[in-house]
Amino acid sequence: MSYYEQAVPPVRDQRLKIGDSFAGSACELLDCAKAGCMLRGNRMFWQTGACQMGLTLMMAATVEGAAIVMHGPIGCGTQLHALSVQTNKGKARRGKVPSPPAWLSTNLQESEVIGGGEQKLRETILYADREFRPQIIFVVATCAPNIIGDDVEEIVAQVGKSTAAHVVSLHCPGFKSRVVASAYDAFYHGLLRHLPLEPEPWRDFVPLDGNSPQAGMERKKYEFQKSRTVNLWNATSIGANDEDELVRLLGALGLKVRVFAEYANADELRLVSQAALNVSMCNVHDDYMLSFLKEKFGTPYIVAGMPLGFADTRRWLCAIAAHFGLEREAGRLADAEEASARAAIEPFLPKIRGKRALLCGGVVRVGSEALMLEELGMNVLGLRAYHYDDGAEPIFEQLAGALPDIRVAVSNQLFELCNQVKKLKPDLVISHMGTQGTLAKLGVPSVQLFDADKSFFGYSGLFSLLRRIAFAFENTSYQERLAAHVKFPYRDSWYEKDAFYYIKNQER
Amino acid sequence: MTSFVERPRSACALSGALSTFSALPGVIPIVHAAMGCGGNLSGANSFGAGYWGAGYCGGGSVPTSAITETEIVFGGDERLREEIESTIELMDGALYVVATGCMTEMIGDDTKGVAADFAREGRPVIAVSTPSFKGDSYAGYEIALNGIFNEYLGGAAKKGKDPRLVNIFGVVPAYDPFFRGDLEEIARLAKGLGLEANTFFTPDQTFENVERAPSASLNIVFSRAWGTSFAKQFEDAHGTPYWVTDLPVGPEASDEFLFGLADRTGISQRKARALVKRENDVYYGYFERTADVFCDSDFKFYAVTVTNANYAIPVARYAHRELGWVLLDSFVTDQLSEPQKDALSGAWSRTGLPSGLSYEADTSLIARAITQRHPENRGQRYFDSPTPLFILGSSLEKATALKRGANQLSISFPAFNRMIVDRGYAGYRGGLHLFEDIVGSLVFPKG
Repeated sequence: MSYYEQAVPPVRDQRLKIGDSFAGSACELLDCAKAGCMLRGNRMFWQTGACQMGLTLMMAATVEGAAIVMHGPIGCGTQLHALSVQTNKGKARRGKVPSPPAWLSTNLQESEVIGGGEQKLRETILYADREFRPQIIFVVATCAPNIIGDDVEEIVAQVGKSTAAHVVSLHCPGFKSRVVASAYDAFYHGLLRHLPLEPEPWRDFVPLDGNSPQAGMERKKYEFQKSRTVNLWNATSIGANDEDELVRLLGALGLKVRVFAEYANADELRLVSQAALNVSMCNVHDDYMLSFLKEKFGTPYIVAGMPLGFADTRRWLCAIAAHFGLEREAGRLADAEEASARAAIEPFLPKIRGKRALLCGGVVRVGSEALMLEELGMNVLGLRAYHYDDGAEPIFEQLAGALPDIRVAVSNQLFELCNQVKKLKPDLVISHMGTQGTLAKLGVPSVQLFDADKSFFGYSGLFSLLRRIAFAFENTSYQERLAAHVKFPYRDSWYEKDAFYYIKNQER
Repeated sequence: MTSFVERPRSACALSGALSTFSALPGVIPIVHAAMGCGGNLSGANSFGAGYWGAGYCGGGSVPTSAITETEIVFGGDERLREEIESTIELMDGALYVVATGCMTEMIGDDTKGVAADFAREGRPVIAVSTPSFKGDSYAGYEIALNGIFNEYLGGAAKKGKDPRLVNIFGVVPAYDPFFRGDLEEIARLAKGLGLEANTFFTPDQTFENVERAPSASLNIVFSRAWGTSFAKQFEDAHGTPYWVTDLPVGPEASDEFLFGLADRTGISQRKARALVKRENDVYYGYFERTADVFCDSDFKFYAVTVTNANYAIPVARYAHRELGWVLLDSFVTDQLSEPQKDALSGAWSRTGLPSGLSYEADTSLIARAITQRHPENRGQRYFDSPTPLFILGSSLEKATALKRGANQLSISFPAFNRMIVDRGYAGYRGGLHLFEDIVGSLVFPKG
């Protein structure tokens, strides 16, 4: 049975070769991934991070007109308070009404943990439907109902018959995988199984009247528009500025662009099937959804890395252009864009040249940015990818070719980051959200690896990122003052050990 | 069966325990749960409490057994043992506390047994049971305190009492977003009476304060709902009596608090009177000058408060007594048991506040209750509407206030639209701060 027909999506550990504990070179990483040793990687010490439920919520909270029912004990979903602040901004930025999603917790108690929480889930969904009249109710199945065996899918199917909203289950129990990237699949699995993804006659379009003299023309118009329409797939780490930049570039090639699935609503999501091509912005985000759409609607898709820096942006643009026979136009567009962007970044290059940087965060982004920054004259000391899976292989093939000896770790662990920073003494760390405070306490300036409020992609993103890097080097007094006064919880002996001392099951 | 909750302002017991440990010097928490529990929860409470932050060993630094499906099936004891071993090797702490998540409780891991094995070897490791389905963040605070003060310190040799030493409890880190400023002001006032207060959760404290706690001669519990059962057990374990009272916000409440504290610690009322006079002189030295803008601008409001149980009486009393505002409603957003509600409601009526206390957790139902009880003008020529209205609540009340053109200040969890560092509303200084913040929010649009 295909994954798409299953009630509960697979985690990436089941679907792909995956890992979260590794240290070595780019070549060694590829060997390890291919040999399967990546799968066995583990640690004798772990620090808390996120879970697939957390990332699933980040996506679900953006959806316009959605309510969220957390099926679990009261703690699961508490980050929605903070997420709502961010998604309000994201909605406003995209011209939507900035209203926080209504969300509820089924607030499972000891009695339900013993006797089952299905009844409570049913009541909560019905209440959410009556009270908030959302277009979509996301039912988020957390660890507890998964362990006690609540049949969430059955409840969703039953209750969904009597609700005005589409009830969409999102199965994302944290214990199923330490790798949060499974969340992308969990979110898309819910959408593809429970939401209509095709336009409805009369609601979304007026059906063709075969007898009308206009029918032929209307059909041609529809077919032409669809043949020039591209769906762009975003994700939490990709902000509105980046969407705008890519819409601008694809628009310059004469393509119409719709952006999915974050910040879309149920009406917009019905148009997902009305495109000539689905385009990913990251290798590890959306292959699950895009291959479903190919299977279901025959829409081809392109996964061509992230449009970061000159080379990868050109490659990304050309891959899309090739699908439409627009290679020459794309080449000319990239030439023109590069010429003006190169002139614009010129003043920043001396400021970053030779600076030693450590990169940490999403596996594709760190790889792509490392290549870009090396090309622009920075000295990339190493990469820390938060996880590794097959999707990232093309990037690491590139890396292994260009920088075969670059240090690569698969790590989202702060203690390892602290050890590395103390030893490598980078001039700058480009790092994942949530680590900047730690880096400042270590006395190192840092730049966000991604930030939904800022630009990264394409030409305006490159300019903006270089500005921010140069800006980070200007006056590092805050970091120096802070570091002089802050104590970390690690013993001094930790810094005498190898940063990856606690990784086990890896031949090194 | 308890009901579902809309946008709960409290998370699980593990969350309360984590914010408690994160604020306790020398304590290293170890979360026995899936990878995300610790990160999600400490992320939420470190941002939601006025951007409190992760600190020494909070947020992504917290050790965890990070259990996966393998442990769910085969048990997580061995993984936990390995994690504790590594944590002690790697991290510098005076006490290592294992806190459980729901999944490891459901599969029946022997967490306490594993911790006890370490303790037998003379290593400072304890375990507390903090599954989500046993209670919320406030309950988690109590469970955490019990583990450290009653279980861990309960075994220590009995020491004599220090008549000048008091412990402060009931103020919950993060879920009382002003906990640090409040604790510091209480300690300052206690010092004025010649006492020393263990605040535990402020940066001036060390683990030594925790170890000295049993020798205190009084525990002050600033909560009608949380901490009483802990204080009872503390009394059983260490013989220290406790006093349950409200956090004093503003001069009148602080006067009462100081007389009460002197009474309970054998300090003369004369000394208390002298301190009260000094503090009032300073308070009114500042406060009297504010009367010009306050009165000329007509900053008299109808007031609705939406807070946790701890802040309900202190803030309502301040608005009623110190500002002369007209209280309409006070909503308590905690999930309380009937005895807890009785304790809080009893204290409320003894305080003599004119309005009612409502127990409601759901943000949209609070908004609806305000609308239904205090309707706005819907086109009538003459209408006695409750305007101007000021909502003292959390940042969730911002939308509610906006909708009916009311003013709002975030003084309760979650508070996302302000930064809270050492600010507190307790005591005399806190009364001035609360005034400053309320009037500050009113004059902010000027200029």
